[in-house]
Amino acid sequence: MPSFTTQVPNLQGIGPLVEVRLAVGSIIEEVLRKDEQLVPTPILVNAMIDTGATGTVVREDIPAQLGLDPTGVTLINTPSSTDVECYEYLVRLLFPNRVVVETTVIGAPLKGQHIQSLIGRDVLRHGVFIYIGYTNTFTLSF
Amino acid sequence: MADLLKKELQTYEARKAELIGKYRGKFALIKDADVLGVFDTKLDAIRQGYERFGRVPFLVKQIVEIETPQHFTSNLLGV
Repeated sequence: MPSFTTQVPNLQGIGPLVEVRLAVGSIIEEVLRKDEQLVPTPILVNAMIDTGATGTVVREDIPAQLGLDPTGVTLINTPSSTDVECYEYLVRLLFPNRVVVETTVIGAPLKGQHIQSLIGRDVLRHGVFIYIGYTNTFTLSF
Repeated sequence: MADLLKKELQTYEARKAELIGKYRGKFALIKDADVLGVFDTKLDAIRQGYERFGRVPFLVKQIVEIETPQHFTSNLLGV
């Protein structure tokens, strides 16, 4: 079962943060290669695993950096807004240890500079998420 | 918001009743004023969209009567 375990200095304070590379979806890569076009280099982001998120979010400027166009629109509710329309994009999430998940993500503004993605329950539904507070570690397995 | 897919969303709304009658729960692939196909999964519809149109915006929409918003408890979201 592909998995990775990450230790952070203060898991309670920082949260389950992991470095993830965002790549274009495999379908897009196939189309680009067929057309002999360059495949964009994956972008490294800090992502927080967020069990309070229905879906996975990336900061709204990142899809353009990967040359992505939207493939859908979804509505989101947040603590301060309801029914906000956001675009969806097809990406691959490249976790440590070659754990790869292909999914659509939502492009939305994220406050602050330190987190560029929230990994939501659309990804977690495929796996096992283990949070061990007293060792400041967490594991995600698929 | 969603200006890039405004035409496609209008197409979906105009055809929604007909699509719900025939394909409830499936995924429609829409470009401009055309519904180009209906698929069992979102990824199948996206694949077909990229194969037909390449890298341009197109809409893949689940055919449902009432759209359920996605919920976020984090205040990191800036909306």
